[in-house]
Amino acid sequence: MKLRRRQRERLSLWLQYLAFIAIIAVVIFAADWGRLRDAFFRVDIIESMFPTIITVALRNTILYTLGAFAFGLVFGTILALMRLSRVAPYRWLATAYIELFRGLPALLVLFLVGYGIPIAFPEREIPGGVFGSIAIGLGLTAAAYMAETIRAGIQAVPKGQMEAARTLGMSHFTAMRTIVIPQAFRIVIPPLTNELILLTKDSSLAYVLGVTAQTIEVTKFGRDTLNDRVNATPLLVAGLTYLAITLPLSQVVRRLELRYAKAR
Amino acid sequence: MRFDSAVRKAGLVVAIAALAVSAGCAKKDESEVQANGVKLIEKGKLTVCTHLPYAPFQSKDASGKVIGFDVDVMDLVAKDLGVEQTIVDTPFEGIKSGQDLNTGKCDAAAAGMTITEERQKVMNFSDPYFDATQAMLVKTGKPYKSLDDLKGKKLGVQAATTGRDYARKFEKEKGLQLVEFEDLAALQQALANGQIEAAVNDLPVWTEYIKEHPGGFEVTAEFDTGEQYGFSVKKDSNPELLKKINEVLAKAKQDGTYDKIYEKWIGKQPNS
Repeated sequence: MKLRRRQRERLSLWLQYLAFIAIIAVVIFAADWGRLRDAFFRVDIIESMFPTIITVALRNTILYTLGAFAFGLVFGTILALMRLSRVAPYRWLATAYIELFRGLPALLVLFLVGYGIPIAFPEREIPGGVFGSIAIGLGLTAAAYMAETIRAGIQAVPKGQMEAARTLGMSHFTAMRTIVIPQAFRIVIPPLTNELILLTKDSSLAYVLGVTAQTIEVTKFGRDTLNDRVNATPLLVAGLTYLAITLPLSQVVRRLELRYAKAR
Repeated sequence: MRFDSAVRKAGLVVAIAALAVSAGCAKKDESEVQANGVKLIEKGKLTVCTHLPYAPFQSKDASGKVIGFDVDVMDLVAKDLGVEQTIVDTPFEGIKSGQDLNTGKCDAAAAGMTITEERQKVMNFSDPYFDATQAMLVKTGKPYKSLDDLKGKKLGVQAATTGRDYARKFEKEKGLQLVEFEDLAALQQALANGQIEAAVNDLPVWTEYIKEHPGGFEVTAEFDTGEQYGFSVKKDSNPELLKKINEVLAKAKQDGTYDKIYEKWIGKQPNS
């Protein structure tokens, strides 16, 4: 049986489609949908989770994320400028920090902040309580990632921009602040949004600090409800709640990228 | 007849898919092994789920071996079956929700677990093997003698425990601020750091903790909730193992082995 190349390619493609359809069909027919529904989709449990999952859990998830993001952005920008500095010790310090915190799991950093700082400074609380601890704990890790992103952004701004600004008599600092950094941030908005999405999910690590009914976030709320109802439905609801934030965010990034591509 | 590589590749995809599907559909029960007429998930091993640390019921010693009251009692069961006990450390939620047993992660759960109606719906419990009371631990010298003294204060509890459920009942009434921690170690750490004022957990757990940190902590209140611990097995699917556990328990209580284990881990003799 000799086939021509085009025929072979088409046959191969069709076989792959067939295999794909076969897998889906088998999964659909073999799965026990009734039991799956009982385990993951109990409407009464879903109803019982509202409105708390929105008014408390989602609100806290967003607050923690934004807190960590803001801390990470400010600190990350400083680190990025340090890495680009002409003063060598600044560069060393920033590099050491980035390597260290990029290599540590966020969970460990959060634990160290939450349990280490109270030991180091007894009778003193981190401002903002749980919110403060999470903003700092997750922000320390996020800053390490963001610093590299922002540095790449600054370096991507054409050198001529800085040179032109200096020629006009601007100081290095003013040129950086008013000319280079604004352009750099425009470049790094998509990767920074990715960081925001990652942080949204990392905010679920808040549980290591111990949470109250007021400071609970989405994942812990889902797990708690699972415990109370002995059913996995709450986890599905929690998952969908995250998607309700992250999917629109991804959409925003895609729009921005398209716009920049057109502007170029 | 020569098969072309692209076609072969496609064939491979189909073959792998078929394999994956058949593996996914294979019934787990068929792979189970027997020991003295009792079904076990792994040959020669009694696999037991627990959540570490929970001294004196289960914790790691200096060499990393899991030891404790529950461990010793389950060892009796394993010995009776002529197998070795292996212990799986897994979040308490998975144990309590019955999922670890349902998914075949372990044969039995021994995790200082109170028998409750909710839990009985998702797993089968052995006869009770321990009477537990809840207790409140505070730093020595703090003026908290009961839940009433904790109005507006932070009270720590462990997630998914009956101690949490107990404290939650009084949360509104007494104006408590409940802080939930994932495991006992974090709860103890938070109390030691002063992040919480008091902590509720099972009395023997605090007794053990005080023994290890003399002078630092004291139990100022006990709450008799009438709780009893039980071992558990997968719901309606391993009556042989459940029967065996109950037999071993009854025998150990009769011949004094239970009392010896009790004395070793808890201290004083049981009242009964």
